[in-house]
Amino acid sequence: MQSENLIQSLIEQTRKVINTVEKLKDNDLQTLTWKHDQNSWSILECLEHLNLYGNFYLPEIESKIKNSTTKSESEFKSGFLGNYFAKSMLPKDKLNKMKTFKDKNPLNANLDKSVIDKFIEQQVKLLDLLSQSRNVSLNKVKIQTSISSLIKLKLGDTFQFFINHIFRHLKQIERIETEMKNA
Amino acid sequence: MKEIIELSDKTITIERNEFLKVKGSVDRNLYYVESGSLRIFVLDNYVEQIIRFGYKENLTASLDSFLTGKPSELYIQAIKKSVIKVIPKEQIDNFLKTESNQNLWTKILENLVIQQMEREIDILTNSPKERYERVLRRSPQLFQEIPHRHIANYLRMSAETLSRLKKS
Repeated sequence: MQSENLIQSLIEQTRKVINTVEKLKDNDLQTLTWKHDQNSWSILECLEHLNLYGNFYLPEIESKIKNSTTKSESEFKSGFLGNYFAKSMLPKDKLNKMKTFKDKNPLNANLDKSVIDKFIEQQVKLLDLLSQSRNVSLNKVKIQTSISSLIKLKLGDTFQFFINHIFRHLKQIERIETEMKNA
Repeated sequence: MKEIIELSDKTITIERNEFLKVKGSVDRNLYYVESGSLRIFVLDNYVEQIIRFGYKENLTASLDSFLTGKPSELYIQAIKKSVIKVIPKEQIDNFLKTESNQNLWTKILENLVIQQMEREIDILTNSPKERYERVLRRSPQLFQEIPHRHIANYLRMSAETLSRLKKS
């Protein structure tokens, strides 16, 4: 795949993410913290979970881009593991539940609307990093994952994985909104 | 301008605060604002600076990207719910194959250059009061359609300063 096409597609996906979450701002706190049961997440908890991931990945990506001496390459080839991770994140029609690592679980944290602002701020950062990534190799720059510092993914795969993970939880937010209507 | 608007092949509705364009994207569309309003801004270290507005019944674009096909830093966001006609660059290019159309297009671009010059003088004018008066004289429409906190940002002054200037 052309690197430039990948970057443009990721920027466009991020635009859609921002637009979806901007709309959530119109809800009151009661709606944003509603949950189906004690063990499920509210809308804000979903976003906070994404923020916790952003706190890990965005600085990591930023420092790797900054310190990279690689040059931009016209072609990007997805790695085996990166491709697998990115795809596994995509929401399926039927809920494919996943385990959340404890340090990324915001369940019952005391949250307010600032969580949404934080999320949008992170998307702005992501857009910055996507622009900066035009100057380095999406293949050769490697980003360590939150799972283990031994597992590293190509920068291009990390971006796709990161954004797919966001889409996954935006889908979950849609489900919460439906549950709330039916409750 | 009617001829240009007719080239549009798609009309979209965007809600308040939705983004039409974000930083880093390539955007080769011209937009005609049928209703609503847009703001075009850059983000510098999370601080917004509005550089243009897209008013009702006006054309707007991320002009850098539109002309060069390269990524642009600009954000375009709806200030209120807006109905936008989208005119892709290819449509304009096709339109310009007819020689008589080129005059019309040149006029539009000339007009844009003049607007940009006025804007440049705005920004370089030292006194907030003069900046305010220049813009008020040139585009009274602005003060009808755009929330004043956005105008204050456009004029590089605090909302309080703008409100004081309006009263004086």
